[in-house]
Formats: sequence, structure tokens, C-alpha cells
Amino acid sequence: MARKAFMIDTSRCTACRGCQVACKQWNKLPADAEVNRGSYENPPQLTPHLYNKIEFIEKGEGKDFTWRFLNQRCLQCGDAGCIKVCPSAGALFHTEEGLVGYDQDKCISCNYCVNGCPFDVPRYDANNKVTKCHGCMDRVANGLQPACVKACPTASLQFGDRDKLIAAAKASGKQVYGETALSGLGAMYALDGSPQDYNLAENPSIPQSIFLWKDVIKPLGILGFWGAVGAAMLHYVTVGPKQLEDDFEDKGGE
Amino acid sequence: MSNYVKRFSAFDRVVHWVLAVAFFVLVFSGLGLFAHTFFGYFDFFGGPEQGILAHKIAGIAFLITSVLLFLAHAKETCRFDGDDAKWFGAFGGYLKRGGKEIPQGKFNAGQKLFALFSFVATIALGLTGWVIWDPTAMERGLTQMSLMLHGLFFILFMMGAVVHIYLATIGNPGTADGMLWGYVKKVWAKKHASKWYKEVIGE
Ligand code: HEM
Ligand code: SF4
Ligand code: SF4
Repeated sequence: MARKAFMIDTSRCTACRGCQVACKQWNKLPADAEVNRGSYENPPQLTPHLYNKIEFIEKGEGKDFTWRFLNQRCLQCGDAGCIKVCPSAGALFHTEEGLVGYDQDKCISCNYCVNGCPFDVPRYDANNKVTKCHGCMDRVANGLQPACVKACPTASLQFGDRDKLIAAAKASGKQVYGETALSGLGAMYALDGSPQDYNLAENPSIPQSIFLWKDVIKPLGILGFWGAVGAAMLHYVTVGPKQLEDDFEDKGGE
Repeated sequence: MSNYVKRFSAFDRVVHWVLAVAFFVLVFSGLGLFAHTFFGYFDFFGGPEQGILAHKIAGIAFLITSVLLFLAHAKETCRFDGDDAKWFGAFGGYLKRGGKEIPQGKFNAGQKLFALFSFVATIALGLTGWVIWDPTAMERGLTQMSLMLHGLFFILFMMGAVVHIYLATIGNPGTADGMLWGYVKKVWAKKHASKWYKEVIGE
């Protein structure tokens, strides 16, 4: 199946936060009790009850002041660090459409996945099970738009065929963030500025230590263990043990 | 006159075997988190959550006993001399059959190296294990680094344990007696630890 994706056009976002509300409604998530921090941005981070939110990026003073809005969420990575580190096969997975879904019944509450994620996304609910945006995989599987996309009044959030969304964004002269990074994000941004302006990493990647752990140490370790067992067995049948009565004619290995 | 000499106290032996049991509990509960292939090992513990709990409890037992065992032998294991250099040069005589043994103290140079490695790896596993006790509690970069190092020292320890178990059992007949019930044969001591043998016999 052709990969589906979100395209988030930041220039169209008015920060109405209809997406936040629609997500809570569809996914039956309660409100988080919050305090006023002097910004419209609330809560300040994704929470176990908040799968997507508008980040208010306020930079500069006076005339130079800029106000940018970024819909933060799981970016549905093609090469997903959360899946890479998850010990329980199937707790996190790619759907047919290329979204990154999860199955709480398979989650073993190890809390590893947030450490594999380049974007600090996964959260853990009251039962210590993984939660995050899954792209409304239930709606998408039934041919519906994700709840946030359906609610967005300015079409800042779009969802559909990944290649077509990229082509359309490029045709209107937009910079696409996430076209190729991490084997292509399933939630891309058409940014109104540079990645830095949006506090985004220029080239997002799976953390180096996570790569070493899962792609180097793990395979080498399994090889090393069996190598050690094999070396011990080979030693026993060639040179042999150090017998206490040791009056041999030969030097072993013969 | 007895054919045996005393090698390890009851304290040494009990500490060693608690350590060994804790090590195997750690291996089997840890492997479930290490790779999907071994996920089924969690069934031994009644499920993944229980397996993780068993790993934490065994980790504390391992940390304590490993440090105790190291401290109990530190006087012998932290001291290297010229004979040890010769021992390493000859690969401990393990590459050919029936060679002349190089005189060694209570522990040979390889055992001393393993004792030091075991101590360093225990501390590394303990520290990183403490960081990843709750993988959301501490700074992200530190947690990621600790996950990686915990895996690295785990596999190094596995390889070390394979060699250790081989050499302490079938690789050197008579060696396991010392750790099982405290005594080794005099011929064993003369062969494997001649300097130590002279010391205890008082020659
Ligand atoms: C079940 C398998 C094991 C067997 C049969 C075994 C056997 C032995 C024996 C016979 C000794 C005494 C060696 C001597 O007399 O010089 C010993 C010492 C020791 N063992 Fe094990 N062992 C086992 C598992 C382990 C494991 C898993 C560890 C590591 C966590 C370990 C760490 C040590 C250490 C640190 C010493 C002290 C000797 C030294 O300080 O060099 N053993 N073991
Ligand atoms: S917390 Fe759950 S989903 Fe996340 S890595 Fe662990 S088992 Fe997988
Ligand atoms: S953004 Fe994070 S949680 Fe989402 S797919 Fe990528 S690694 Fe996984």
C-alpha cells in the first residue's frame, strides 16, 4: 500500500488548537489541570493525555518579535527509534499505511521507547503503558481522516498519499522537513522558516548510543557468546585440559 | 598426612555461589529485554513485569556479593609480578599440552585479570543499572548512554563467564573442588599455584 502521511503547513496555522481538542475527543483523553505560564502554549509538553499540541515559539523583542506555531506530535518515523528499542515485538509497530501504532496489551512498561525517540514523544499513562499519537490508525484503517486533520479549519493539517503531499508542498515552493530523514517521516512539516526557527534538529537521527546498543553491541554480543563457547569446546578437544597427572608424549593439537 | 589443602573459606564459597545464582537470574531476565529472540525467557519469571523485578532484586544481590568476593581476595588479585608477565607471555600454558607450569601465587595471572575485570564490570553494571532503574527519571543522554553501556558490559561479562566456567571445571580438573567444598588436592596446588602451595605448607 502506498505510504500515507501528514503534511503540516506551519504558515497556515492560526494556533486555534482545534487539533488538540479533536484529538482528546476522539481518543477519549481527559484534560490536564494546568497553570498559567504567561503563554498561550499549554500544556508546555506532550503528556500521557495529550498526543498533539501547538508549540508557541516566541523569539526576539519589539519589532523583531516573531511568533511561530508548530504542531508537535509523533512524527511516524520510517526508521523509528521507538520500535528499534522496544523489547516486546508488536507493542510498537508500523501500520500498513506506514503510521507508528502501538498495542498497550503487549507493552511491558519498560519505558525504553522514549529513549529511542529523536523527538521526545512517547509518554506513559497511569498504568505505565505507552501512549502517543498513532495517527488515528483506527480511523485511517477505516478510510477516515485523522481527527485533528478533520478538525483543522485552515487545512494546515493535511493527511493523504505521502508522495502527493510532498509534490504539492514543493509545487507551492515550500521547504519540506522530513522527506528523507529517518527513512522519511510520516508526519512532515512545510516550514515557514528554517528548522532552527522551529527548534527542530536540522538532520534528525536516532541517537548514536542507541544505534551502537541495538545495531552493533547486540549482534556482536550474540556472536561473542557463541564464539567463546566454541573456543572453549575447540580448546578441550585439541589441547585438552590441564590434567593433574601430566606425562604426555605429544604436545596436543595432533 | 592429608592429600588436601584448604583453599576457600565457607564465607568465600557461599558468597561465590550466591553471586553465581544471581548472575544467572540476571542473564535470563536481562536477555528478555536484550533481544526479541529471548523474550520467551520472561515466562520463567511469570511475565515481563515480574522478570524486570527479578532482574532488579538479583542485581542488588549480585552487586553486593561481587564486591564482597572481590574484597575478600583483593590482597592476592591486585598484585602482579614478573612471573605473571611470563604467564601472560606463555598464554598461561593453555596453547600446548603438558608444558612446564610457571610458578603462581594463590591465583594465576589470568584469574587475577578476571577478578579485576569482574569488579570493574560489576561497578559499571551497577552504576548504569541504577540510571536505567527508571528510564524516564534521569537526563535523556545519560539514560541512553547507560542503556548502551549496560548492554556492552553484559556481553563482556557473558564471554568472561563462559571462559571462567570452562577453566574452573573441565578445563582444569580438580579446580572446582576448592569452590565447592573448600579443599583442593595437593597435586593441584603444586601444579597450578606452586608459590601459594609453598606458603601454606610452610616450606
Ligand atoms: C556456575 C558456574 C561457575 C562455576 C562452576 C564457577 C567456578 C569457580 C571456581 C572453581 C572458582 C575458584 C577458582 C580457583 O580455585 O582458583 C571460582 C572463583 C570465582 N568465580 Fe566462579 N564459577 C561460576 C560462575 C561464576 C560467575 C557467573 C561469576 C561472575 C559473576 C563468577 C566469578 C568468580 C570470581 C570473581 C571468582 C574469584 C576468583 C578470583 O578472585 O579470581 N563465577 N569460580
Ligand atoms: S514501554 Fe512499552 S512500547 Fe515502550 S519500549 Fe517498553 S514495551 Fe515497548
Ligand atoms: S517520533 Fe518518536 S515515537 Fe514517533 S515514530 Fe518516531 S521515534 Fe517513534
